[in-house]
Amino acid sequence: MSQVALITGGGGGIGGAVAQRMAAAGIAVVIADYDGGAAERVKGEIAAAGGKADALAIDVTVAREVKAVVTDVAKRYGRVDILANIAGGSRYTKRVEEFTWAQWKEVIDTNLKGTFLMCREVAPIMQKQKSGRIINTASNYGVTGSALRTPYAAAKAGIITFTKSLALELAPDLVLANTVAPGPTDTPRVMEKEAPEARQQRWWSQIPLGRTALPEDLAEMYYFLTTPESAAITGQTFHVNGGVVMP
Amino acid sequence: MRLKDKVAVVTGAAQGIGRATALTMGREGAKLVVADLQGEKAQAVANELTALGAESLGIAVDVASETSVKQMAKATFERFGRVDILANIAGIYFPKKSVVDLSEEDWDRTINVNLGSNFLCCREFVPAMRQQKSGRIISVASGIGHYGMRQFSHYAASKAAIMGFVKSLAREVGPDGITVNAICPGSANTSMPRQHRSEEEVLERLKATPLPHILEPEDIAGSITFLASDAAKFITGQSYNINSGTYMF
Repeated sequence: MSQVALITGGGGGIGGAVAQRMAAAGIAVVIADYDGGAAERVKGEIAAAGGKADALAIDVTVAREVKAVVTDVAKRYGRVDILANIAGGSRYTKRVEEFTWAQWKEVIDTNLKGTFLMCREVAPIMQKQKSGRIINTASNYGVTGSALRTPYAAAKAGIITFTKSLALELAPDLVLANTVAPGPTDTPRVMEKEAPEARQQRWWSQIPLGRTALPEDLAEMYYFLTTPESAAITGQTFHVNGGVVMP
Repeated sequence: MRLKDKVAVVTGAAQGIGRATALTMGREGAKLVVADLQGEKAQAVANELTALGAESLGIAVDVASETSVKQMAKATFERFGRVDILANIAGIYFPKKSVVDLSEEDWDRTINVNLGSNFLCCREFVPAMRQQKSGRIISVASGIGHYGMRQFSHYAASKAAIMGFVKSLAREVGPDGITVNAICPGSANTSMPRQHRSEEEVLERLKATPLPHILEPEDIAGSITFLASDAAKFITGQSYNINSGTYMF
C-alpha cells in the first residue's frame, strides 16, 4: 500500500511541486488548497503522469473545515503518513502602523494558526499509527525578520518554534516534525508581481548560488524528510535558499 | 543511483560515520577515496566497497598535515582524474580536560585536526571543482559546536569554527556552482563515545533522546549523501542537525 500525504497549499507553486515530487515517488497525495480549482489542476497533472492524487478545497484557518477534511481523508485512505503544511503567504507589504488588526490576524492565521489546526487534527492519527512525518513551512524571514512583513515574519518564526515543541510532544510515538524554510522562490504568485529582470537585479547578487530557488529545489527537501534516510531528524529547520541566509 | 560515477573523497572513512558515508555513497554509484589516518582500516573499507561493486582507493592520510593532504589529492586525481564530492569527516574528540588543565599541544592538535583539516582539504580540492563549475563539500561539525560541553572546550570550539568556515567558503565558491554545508550529529552509536564512557552509559545516553531512535552512523551518512546529491543543489552554507531531537537550533 502506498503512503498517503496530505499537502495544504498543494495547488500553489511550492505545494504543487511537493505534490508532484511525492507522487513521482509513489506516494498517494491529497492536494488541499484554498483554491479548489488550483488543487484540481495539480491533481490532473499528477494523474496524467500516472500518479495517484486527490484534490479538495480547504480554508486552513477554519477549525471545523480542517477537522472535516482530515476526518474525510483518514476515512478514505485509512491512514495519513505525511502532512506537509505549505498553505500560507505574506499577503501584504506595508509598514506596521498601516496594518489593520484584521489584516494582522489574517496573516497570522493563514500561516501559523492554519499550521496548528492541521497538526492538531492529523497528529493523533499519526500517533496511533506510531509513525508519521509532519513538515511545516517557515521562511528565511522567520529568522532574519523582514521590513514591511511584520506579521508574516512573526508567524514564520512562530512556526519554527511551534514545530520544535510539536516534535518533542510527538517523538515518543515516532512521529517526526520538521520545518522547511524557503528563501526567495520563483512561484507563480511572486512572479506575477515582479518582472523577472527586476527580481534578478534585486536578488541574484545577494545569493551565493547566483539565482532564486525553483519550487522543485524546495520539493526535494520536503521529499527527503519523508524518507527512511531522515528517520533520526526531528524538530529541525531546513533552510533551502542558495545561501542567502546562513543561520 | 543518486551519485552515479561521481568521485567522492571521504576523510575519517575507516570507521563510524566516515565508513558509513563511504559505503552509502558507494551504493549510490560513487567512486570513493577512502582516506583515514589508519591506513589499514581505510583499505579494509575500500575492500568492502569493492565487494559492493564500487570503485575505490584506500589511502592513509594525516588531515592535519599539509604534505599528507597534498599527497591524498594527488593520488585522487591520478586515480580518478576529478573530484565531485569532499566529505570532511576526520576528527578527534580527546582529551577530556577542563580549560585550565588543557595543554597548548592538545588545544593545537584538536583545532588542527578538526578545523585545519577542513581548510587543508578544501584548499586542495576546490580548484578542480571551480574548474568544472560543480562540487559538493560536506563537513561534519557537531551539536556540541552550538551548545558547548564542559571539559571539551577545544572540541566545541573546533566544531563551531567549522560552521563559520563552511558559511564563508559557501559564499566564496557559490558563484562557481559549489555548495558547502555542515552536518551536526548528535551522539551516535560509534566507537567515539565509548572511549570515555562505559557501555551502559553510552547506551543510556543514546536512548535518552526525545525520539526513541538510536542514532546510527547510517543516519548521518544518509543526510551527507542527500547533500552530495543533485536533490540538494540549491542548499549551501547550512548546518543541519541530525540528532533524534536532542537539540533544535
